Amino acid sequence: MWRQQRSVHLSVRPSRGLVDEKVAILVQSAPPGARITLCAFHRCEDRHGWEAFAHYLTDAAGSLNVSRDPSLGGTYSGVEQMGLFWSIRPVPGSHPGLRLRKKNVQTPMEFTISVYQDHFTDFTDQVPLASQTVERWYMAPGVLRTPIKDHELTATLFLPTGPGPFPAILDLWGGGGQLVEYRAALLASHGFATLALDYMTPKITVETGKMVDNTYFERAFTFLQQHPGVLAERVAMLGLSFGVCVTLKMAAYSHVVKPRCAVCISGSHVQPVDGTMADILSYFDRNGHKIQLNDENQAILRNLLLPIPTDPAFKVDVGRVQCPLLVVAGEDDQNWPAAESAQDMKEMMERAGNAHLLTVLSYPNAGHLLEPPYSPHTRASSFRSVGSREKITALWGGHCAAHSLAQEDAWKKTLDFLRHHLYS
Amino acid sequence: MLLVSSRMSIPFMMFGTQMRAGPYRHLIGKQLTPHVDLHRKTCWLHSTVAMRWRTSTSPAPVLTVTPARGLVDEPISIKAGFMPPQYPVTLCAQMRSEKGDLWEAFGHYKTSADGTVNLARDHSVGGSYLGCEPMGLFWALQPAPGERDGLRLRKKNVETPFIVDISLLEGHVTPRERENSELAVATTERWYMAPGVQRIDIRQNGVVGTLFLPPGPGRFPAVLDVWGMGGGLVEYRSSLAASRGFASFSIAYMEHKDLTVQLDIDSSDAYMKKAIDILRDHPQICGDRIGVISLCYGVYLTLRTATLADVNPSCLVCINGPAGTNMEIVQTFCKPQSSESDQKCWPRNTAGYICFKDTTLPQNYSPGTLVKIENLSCPLLYVLGEDDQNLSSTENSKLIEDGLKTAGKSYLYTRLSYPGAGHLIEPPYAPHTRMSYWRVKPEKLPTLWGGNIVSHAAAQEESWREILKFLDKNLRA
Repeated sequence: MWRQQRSVHLSVRPSRGLVDEKVAILVQSAPPGARITLCAFHRCEDRHGWEAFAHYLTDAAGSLNVSRDPSLGGTYSGVEQMGLFWSIRPVPGSHPGLRLRKKNVQTPMEFTISVYQDHFTDFTDQVPLASQTVERWYMAPGVLRTPIKDHELTATLFLPTGPGPFPAILDLWGGGGQLVEYRAALLASHGFATLALDYMTPKITVETGKMVDNTYFERAFTFLQQHPGVLAERVAMLGLSFGVCVTLKMAAYSHVVKPRCAVCISGSHVQPVDGTMADILSYFDRNGHKIQLNDENQAILRNLLLPIPTDPAFKVDVGRVQCPLLVVAGEDDQNWPAAESAQDMKEMMERAGNAHLLTVLSYPNAGHLLEPPYSPHTRASSFRSVGSREKITALWGGHCAAHSLAQEDAWKKTLDFLRHHLYS
Repeated sequence: MLLVSSRMSIPFMMFGTQMRAGPYRHLIGKQLTPHVDLHRKTCWLHSTVAMRWRTSTSPAPVLTVTPARGLVDEPISIKAGFMPPQYPVTLCAQMRSEKGDLWEAFGHYKTSADGTVNLARDHSVGGSYLGCEPMGLFWALQPAPGERDGLRLRKKNVETPFIVDISLLEGHVTPRERENSELAVATTERWYMAPGVQRIDIRQNGVVGTLFLPPGPGRFPAVLDVWGMGGGLVEYRSSLAASRGFASFSIAYMEHKDLTVQLDIDSSDAYMKKAIDILRDHPQICGDRIGVISLCYGVYLTLRTATLADVNPSCLVCINGPAGTNMEIVQTFCKPQSSESDQKCWPRNTAGYICFKDTTLPQNYSPGTLVKIENLSCPLLYVLGEDDQNLSSTENSKLIEDGLKTAGKSYLYTRLSYPGAGHLIEPPYAPHTRMSYWRVKPEKLPTLWGGNIVSHAAAQEESWREILKFLDKNLRA
């Protein structure tokens, strides 16, 4: 055992960063050609443990550089600078169906990165050679978080630092509901005033039992436009999953909501066009017999919307969209037929003559939950959609390495798209 | 407003800015007045362009600072974009010390052809610094006009960061015009302590100090961290060393309320040994990998300790310190509080600044105080500011070098020698202090430390890198 003779040094820089920033991990002062294991551990807000690990060999100088050297196996392999972050998964023995999501964006996620002598897969009772703590933040210093208490909206506004004025984004998540803030906080950290909006389970729905209608989104969009720190002509929409239904509907049909550009991630244009939110959920329910269960009892929902209808009453007429549109799809999305929908949208827009507005990013082996980069991939997790009474295990799809690469590429292109259309 | 600010920036450049060897050196001392008219006309033209550029539908330019929460010794990237090409802008840093004093620095830039500014690529043409200086906004920080004089920026509470606002201002202006010309702001946190580092108060065997342990199980190599006769307990270099993987122990040996005895020279030896023993006995520290890092009088205490028979540190880092001392002066410090009459016997230079240069010349040492450097048995890195105006560091470093050479131990000695650097060689990017009030009671004592701003900043950056390499080599391998 060489650990007694050496003082192995582990450095992780920067030790405090935004979740979409890369870190450089170095190990030094180990013996040359030594077998070592790097491990990342995180305890989430719900107190579950998450970990990732990789096996390496140090070089002739007794060093390891994760940006340069290949992992020989573990939760990822090959040269993967951020593998220890995107490949984390619940520790053995954890509750099934977990998904890692940050609720309180004003505190960081803390990771412990450790280096062990030899190659391990089970870290119980193992003592590392060295450890470092890393903070990963969704919110840059100076970003202002303001819960919105009036306008009958359930929302949180994130404003970048400075005098502004800023372009803005209306940020919509999917059918799980709740007020999810982390992507909005991150977008604000990149210079966009961003409103995270709960539209599935807002206060008004909880109190009245009625789902919101189009006026709710118009109110949210107008709220952003009228904010003194926001440029009214430069407000975009970004939606994921069910949020895409809302985004496309508003972009195509609303006389009030005129986004400067729109980003649609893992969603579809298929919906009863004249329907309310409740109507759309009923449409899905009526196709409930198409839900399949795989061998692990995980629910595949993508067929609810397949085949893509030919009846124009059941898909948003994307030929009417007048703003640049970025559509992001994982080809292994098992929850929504995102890739098929993207293809159909392309054909519709080509026929209508506005295909020049469309950019499609389609990722082989990526699943439904295309999140900011270096977030762990979740292939399946517990899910209860607002329209349903029961909790299921939803299969989201995707294969870890390909999905993580897709997240990184899609986020970069999404930010470039937003900067181009909102800042230039 | 632009006209006034352009004139104001020029005298600032002439008197307050030093230049590194490079394209601007020929401008030092030149009469710049003939160029003012052209400069003024150019600024007026730019102000007209500005009005055309910033319409009611234009978003603010984007300013990014990465990482936004960095350790103070980490360089950061400062960039701005979405502006017209060849446009004059000012980058400005402002922060408040823990005592509320405003510190600021600024640089004048022109956007590139693609409308961006990048401090790692572009050259400042005016302000607090000139040339391509990615970290100039930090090391060139000075107290804002109107703030108290004689200030030195030091972090007392290392568990919180300094908050620095980096602003992008329109035109070539001073920070006074920030409110009216501000285009964008980025907030950055500058930390002396990495996440996971533990801070532990130590009051043990009469030793007063703070121990910083890196994250992880250990065992760690360690350093004892010793400052000068300013007294008190100074933690920030220690917390930074712990953030770089070394258990680090800052000790107080004078002017601290928890010290039970006042230390004279002889009792200091025992005190230092006890401090090292605390490190040796700690279960998370490698007892045979303990070094010392010291500044000023702390160097003398360190050299004494290192040359005692039964204390064997693994290595020493000595910054601008003496190898002997003057007993009369030391006696005045070894009191709970120095009185006015004590302070009167502290030497001053002809300009009235406190200055120990004469008393720290080897020929002026009290007999018997010179350290027995021939007994040294570990590597010693001497960091020398050649413009040290407080202490005769050059002469002392030579004395140590000669003493080791005579003893056949030259191989133990390395010197890093920095022309233009002063006494207070601190961790990198810390603002330079050429003069400050070393004591304020019973009266203010202006003390000259020396150094010019650019050379001193370069010395701090390089020496810290070399110190960490030296500690790595001698405490890890």
